[in-house]
Amino acid sequence: MKLMTSTKAILVVAFFNIPFLSFNAGAAPPDAAAGKVKAQSCFACHGENGIGISPEIPNLAAQPPLSITYQLIQFRGQQRNGGAMAALAAGLSDQDMRDIAAYYAALPPPPAKPGNAEKIAKGQQISSTQYCNSCHGAQLQGQKHIARLAGQSPEYVMTQLKNIRSGTRIDMDGTMGSAARGLSDDDIEALAAYAASLN
Amino acid sequence: MKLKTIHSLMFAAGMAVATLASAQAPAAAPSAVPAIPPTWAQGRTADGMNPSLAPNPPGISALPADEIPVSKLKVPAGFKIELWASGMPNGRSMTESPSGTVYVGTRFTGNVYAVVTKDGKREVKTIAKGLHRPNGVAFANGSLYVAELSRIIRYDNIEKNLDNPPAPVVVFDALPKDEPHGWKFMTLSPDGQYLYFQIGTPANIVVPPYTHAAIVRLNLKTNILEYVATGVRNSVGMDFQKGTKELWFTNNGRDWADENLPNDTLNRLSRPKGMNFGYPFCHQGDFLDPEFGKGRSCDEFDKPEMKLGAHVAALGMRFYNGNMFPAEYKGNIFIAEHGSWNKTKKSGYQVVRVVLDGKNKPVKLEPFITGWVEGENFWGRPVDVQVLKDGSMLVSDDETGAIFRVSYGK
Repeated sequence: MKLMTSTKAILVVAFFNIPFLSFNAGAAPPDAAAGKVKAQSCFACHGENGIGISPEIPNLAAQPPLSITYQLIQFRGQQRNGGAMAALAAGLSDQDMRDIAAYYAALPPPPAKPGNAEKIAKGQQISSTQYCNSCHGAQLQGQKHIARLAGQSPEYVMTQLKNIRSGTRIDMDGTMGSAARGLSDDDIEALAAYAASLN
Repeated sequence: MKLKTIHSLMFAAGMAVATLASAQAPAAAPSAVPAIPPTWAQGRTADGMNPSLAPNPPGISALPADEIPVSKLKVPAGFKIELWASGMPNGRSMTESPSGTVYVGTRFTGNVYAVVTKDGKREVKTIAKGLHRPNGVAFANGSLYVAELSRIIRYDNIEKNLDNPPAPVVVFDALPKDEPHGWKFMTLSPDGQYLYFQIGTPANIVVPPYTHAAIVRLNLKTNILEYVATGVRNSVGMDFQKGTKELWFTNNGRDWADENLPNDTLNRLSRPKGMNFGYPFCHQGDFLDPEFGKGRSCDEFDKPEMKLGAHVAALGMRFYNGNMFPAEYKGNIFIAEHGSWNKTKKSGYQVVRVVLDGKNKPVKLEPFITGWVEGENFWGRPVDVQVLKDGSMLVSDDETGAIFRVSYGK
C-alpha cells in the first residue's frame, strides 16, 4: 500500500514538473504518446517498460525527463560515449528527445532489487557521508537533469562511477568527478547495491 | 499569478513526496566517525544539503528563434532589445573581430561559433567542435585564440576560412586540468601583447594550490605565463578600461556561507602585479571566511571596487565606449548576471549597469536588462556582453543558445 501511494505521488510530481523543468520554456510541450512511437528503436535494449534487457544497460523507467534528454544530447554531441548511443542519438531532434524522455519518465519505477544486507547498509552509509542525496534526492530518485539511481542496475552504476572516477565518462561540472575519486571499488559496489535496493 | 499558484502546488506536492520518502527510508546505519565532507562539498552547510538547492540544469541546447520570448526582456526607455542570432547551444563568451565577425565560446557543448552578418542577416557557423570547455575567445593578429580548460589554442587566418577552419595550433598546454571553475574567460591586453585569463579555484572553498584562484597573463611573443593577481576565487569576465588601461574584473563569491553573503564583486587591478583579493580567507573585502578566516584579517588583502550581490553569478563585463547610447552611459560598465542556483529565492538573471564617478569610483548599480526570470522560474541566463563597433551591445544567453542586441534611438 505504502509503495503504491509513494509511486502515485512521485508520478503526480513528475507530471507537474515536466512543463516547468523542461530546459527551454518556450519549447513545444513534451508528448509522451509521440515519445512512445519515437522510442521504438530504444525498446530493443531499454525495454518498452524502461527496464534494461541486460545488467549493463540502464533502466530508464521513471528517470527525470531532463536526465534523459541531457544524456541524449551528450551522446549526440559525442561528449559521452556509450556503445551505439552516439549513432542512435545522431538522428534525434531536441523535440524527439523531449518526447522520448516524457515517455520513459512516466513509466512506473524499476522494482527494488534485494541484495546483500551488509553491502546495502554500507552503501547507504557511504551515500550519506558523500551527500549523494543532496543532488540525487532523498531516495536517490533523481531530479532536474540529475539521474535517478533508485532501482538502477548495479552493474551499470558501477561501470559509470568507475568511468567518472577515471575520467572516461565526461563530468558535467566537476562535482561527480570529485565525488567519485574518493571511492574504492568496494565502495562503488556497495553504493550500487544500495541504489538498486531502493524504489 | 497562475504560474505562482501552480508552482506552490508543485512545491506542496514535492514536500508530500519528501515526507513519504523519508517515512519510508530505512533507519540510517550508525555512524562510527563524523563524516569528513568530500572536496566538492567543503564549506557546505546542513541546510545546503537540501536537494532543492541542487545546481540548475546547464543550458546545452538551443531554442528555435520563433520560440525565444524576447518580448519578455525589458530595457530602459529609448532602448530596444531584439533577438540578434540563435541556434548556438550553450553560447557564452563573445569577441568581435575587426571585420565584424562575432566569435562565441561554450562551456558544455565543446563548440565555438562564428556569427557573420550578410545583407543585414545573421548566419551562425560552427567553426569548432569537440573542444574541452572552450569558454574563452579572443581575436589577435588575424587569429582566433580559444581558451579551453587546460590549454590555449589558435586558429590562424580564420576570417577567410570560416567554412573550412584550419586545424588549431596549440599555443600553451600546461594549464591545470581541474574541472571545477576550470573554464576560462579570456581577453587581449590593449597593447596586443598578452592574453589575460583566470585559473579558478578547484572547489567551492579550499586553500587552493598556488597555481589556482589567480588571474594570469600569457605573453604571446615568449609564451611565458605570469601571475598578475591572486586570491581571486573565479573570474568569468574582465575588460580593460580605456584611458587608464587598467584591468577590471568580476569575481564570484564562495557558496554556502550564507544566502546573502558574500557578494560577488567588481574589482580593479590598480597595480599590474602582486594584488591579492583575499580568497579563501576574506571575501568581498570585509567578510572573513567563517572557517578559513580564523586568525586572519581582511586588512591583509586588497578590496573590491563594488559589491554586486550574493550568488548573482556576475560573469561577463565590458566598459561601454560606444557612440550609440546616451552620453551618460559613456564609460559605464555592463555586467551579465547568470543568476543564482544555491539560494532559495533567485537573484541575478539580468544585465546591470555600473556608473563611475569623476574619481573613477563605482557609485551606482542598477538593472539594465531584466525579464529572464519570472518568480522562481527562469527561461534564460545572460553570460556575457559585447559592445559592437556600431555602439550597440550584444548579450549572450547560454540557456536559449541565443544572442540579443540592445540598441538606442533607432
